[in-house]
Amino acid sequence: MAGWTGSIYNSIIRRNAVFVGVIFGAAFGFEIAFDVYSQRFWDWKNQGRQWKDIRHKYVTDEE
Amino acid sequence: MAALRTISSLPATASRSLLRSQSTATPLARSAAAACLQVQQRRDDSSLASSKPTTAIPSWGYYKSKKTEGSNKVFGYFMVGSMGALSAAAAKATVQDFLVNMSASADVLAMAKVEVALSSIPEGKNVIIKWRGKPVFIRHRTSDEIDEANNVTISSLRDPQADEDRVKKPEWLVMVGVCTHLGCVPIGEAGDYGGWFCPCHGSHYDISGRIRKGPAPLNLEIPEYDFPTDDTLIIG
Repeated sequence: MAGWTGSIYNSIIRRNAVFVGVIFGAAFGFEIAFDVYSQRFWDWKNQGRQWKDIRHKYVTDEE
Repeated sequence: MAALRTISSLPATASRSLLRSQSTATPLARSAAAACLQVQQRRDDSSLASSKPTTAIPSWGYYKSKKTEGSNKVFGYFMVGSMGALSAAAAKATVQDFLVNMSASADVLAMAKVEVALSSIPEGKNVIIKWRGKPVFIRHRTSDEIDEANNVTISSLRDPQADEDRVKKPEWLVMVGVCTHLGCVPIGEAGDYGGWFCPCHGSHYDISGRIRKGPAPLNLEIPEYDFPTDDTLIIG
């Protein structure tokens, strides 16, 4: 067990508390990334069909 | 590796303990042990491809991973951890969806607010509007009335509360118009203290909506409200 796998094992996996903490941190990050990218995909898939895309045709801001 | 070692050492330990027991055992037991040893020997032979006599350990090299132990272990733990992270995210999303589903939606919240144009209420006048099925009193107080509300000794009140704590702007008094006694609607500009009077059981409220006389235990309730501009009031 040498090289980077060894350092990963010793720094993250060896202590269960650290491992679980890393898992929850990863879940947090994953959720944000998942939301952002699925939202981006949805907007791309429905380009020009959503209210925010056509709002400027119907509503003129009074300012 | 450890498992392999255990397997290979098992017959050896068994036969050694048998041999040890031979010295004191009866002839019957001795022959039984010998037979056992023979069986052991035969089994070892038949499990090997080549029929070398004894103690040859089968090679598991074909089945063993070519990678190092460390990388395999880290890969296994990585998969376990990824599964855990995905489950945690899914569980959190499920719980959150249920909670969001239970909270009021935007249209309900929009219906629960009332907007009032304050310019239509002259000084010294009461307005009663309906908000969530209850009357709400809005009074445009004169400066005399504000002074009157501030000049009351707070410690003498049944429900001690300063006038500043009951208003956001001193000239605008906004209260839920439900008597804190049994829920009647008090009458404005009436009673002994120039505020509100409840006709049901005779509670007198002052110009800040605080209970002064009668059976009611608490001051008139203040709803949540805000002044987004100088001229508008939003209740709720």
